[in-house]
Amino acid sequence: MKIQYVPHTADIRMKIEGATLQDLFKAGLKGMGEILKTGLCERNTVFNIRREIRISGADYTCLLIDFLSEVLSLTYTEKSIFCEVTFKEFEAYEITAEIKGVKIESFEEEIKAVTYHEAQVEKVKSRVWKTNIVFDI
Amino acid sequence: MKLRKEHIHKIAPYLWEIPKSFAPNKMRVPARILASEELLDAIMEDRSLTQLINVASLPGIQMASLVMPDVHEGYGFPIGGVAATLYPTGAISPGGIGYDINCGVRLLITQQELEEVRPYLEDLSKELYRQIPSGMGKGGNIKLSFNELDTVLEQGAEWAVNNGYGVAEDLEFIESKGKLEAADTTLVSEMAKKRGLDQLGTIGSGNHFVEVDYVEEIIDEGIASTLDLYKGQIVILIHTGSRGLGHQVATDYIRKFIGSMHQYEFQLPDRELACAPFNSEDGQAYFKAMCAAANYAWCNREVISHEVRAAWKNIFGTEVPPLQLLYDVAHNIAKVETHKVSGKEVTVIVHRKGATRAFGPGSPELPDKYKTIGQPVIIPGSMGTCSYVLVGSRISSEVTFGSCCHGAGRRLSRTAAKKQVNAPVLKQKLKEKGIYVEAGSFKGIAEEAPIAYKDVNLVVETISDSGIAKKVAKLRPLVVIKG
Repeated sequence: MKIQYVPHTADIRMKIEGATLQDLFKAGLKGMGEILKTGLCERNTVFNIRREIRISGADYTCLLIDFLSEVLSLTYTEKSIFCEVTFKEFEAYEITAEIKGVKIESFEEEIKAVTYHEAQVEKVKSRVWKTNIVFDI
Repeated sequence: MKLRKEHIHKIAPYLWEIPKSFAPNKMRVPARILASEELLDAIMEDRSLTQLINVASLPGIQMASLVMPDVHEGYGFPIGGVAATLYPTGAISPGGIGYDINCGVRLLITQQELEEVRPYLEDLSKELYRQIPSGMGKGGNIKLSFNELDTVLEQGAEWAVNNGYGVAEDLEFIESKGKLEAADTTLVSEMAKKRGLDQLGTIGSGNHFVEVDYVEEIIDEGIASTLDLYKGQIVILIHTGSRGLGHQVATDYIRKFIGSMHQYEFQLPDRELACAPFNSEDGQAYFKAMCAAANYAWCNREVISHEVRAAWKNIFGTEVPPLQLLYDVAHNIAKVETHKVSGKEVTVIVHRKGATRAFGPGSPELPDKYKTIGQPVIIPGSMGTCSYVLVGSRISSEVTFGSCCHGAGRRLSRTAAKKQVNAPVLKQKLKEKGIYVEAGSFKGIAEEAPIAYKDVNLVVETISDSGIAKKVAKLRPLVVIKG
């Protein structure tokens, strides 16, 4: 899994890679958590907030963006940051997942939205799935 | 084809055009840039113009896709953009308004002067920071029920006045009087409403702020007098929007439109341009939900003004004259308006994303007090530089669909700003210059440092020289509150 932040004039552009599609989704989740609170997802934290979500989309790109958008909405209503995910179902193009996170007092950064701009989930070679994601800040 | 400067033609002083022939299969109209040559060169450094060319592909777009001199790269639409589509069949695109629906600015004026206020600035900065929550965790001081929230979405700023969080006299001086009648709360999702329950009266983070300024210079004495502005006067700028509720409305409808766009046979180069015909069921649903979110934003800025007024009383007592609203204007919104296109009056759906409405004198939209001078346009700079008050001109209707810039415009990425700026040192340096900054984090200060922005003087000069709006007063910051 690779997570990299590259310059964007006003927002945050993230490049992620995963060995599998599921890995790519996990990288997206962790990368988003890192923006909301630096280091939180890396710490030895007990992720005791669990929520189940079900998402369907037109393709894998929509599925990933809609998955992260749904997590972001829960982030704000639950005042929690979600760092881990277990997929119960992962099909073309529908997922059921359990996300795990932790309550927090405040966010370091407020992400307004996960945008579809530049997002293109693709398998570039064997065991390498990647995409860009631009977050509206 | 990669865009190069030779593809861009100067068609008038400060107005540049990328002709339709640059991308004939994509562009329905030309793309236009309102800028000086110096600013145009700066604009070409990021992907703003590629995004502007994409906007020219919107179904029903009229005259040209436009950007203002403060434009910078966004996601889909550039920030600082204007696109008008033909009413009622043209497209409405949630991405053309942005996720922060009705992000905007308002200016409160006092009857106090710099020297009177200067000794209290540090205390004032702390009191404002205490009174105005960022909403970056616990939420604000008002907790609404779902029923109360629906009333906010219907009434906008009026709700704050009716519930003891606002001043009735303010309503006249808010764009659309702080309420869009088309709002329909049944078209706002439960998730969006949940996010709005505890965020009234909060500023959020990013480039949102509350700033105490003084009037450093009066540029047009006559208009300033009508606006009750004078040299040395203390004023307060508030910049924020519809918070999580608006973000969720945009997210919901962009997602919906991506799924439904095929039925209209729309082909667009970026998913963030997803749209529907304005008069379709989808188009109307989004527009009415957007109106509800816009009402939330106006109510939010009215409640924040209430918090500023509370801080003011706590520092200066109850004897000082009350703070008055000069004007409140949206810069992320879609409106149905009539403008001149090729000499003919045409009704259009104007998308403003990081662009301010700038109506000229005589517009029926203006309060009686401002009918002869034009609509006040408030252009914030960055912390440590300056801001401007302008008034819109009649020409704006023909050139930019009654719009102008909304700020200085970013030039550095957040990462680059953090690399170049030592925030504690910047905070201290600003304090030495008499500017007190209170922020939720040093990271936020670094990201919003003056170096991250274009020169607001150049941006406003372009607007003024092009005749779109007229400079009235220049403001200097004294206190900056950030989330």
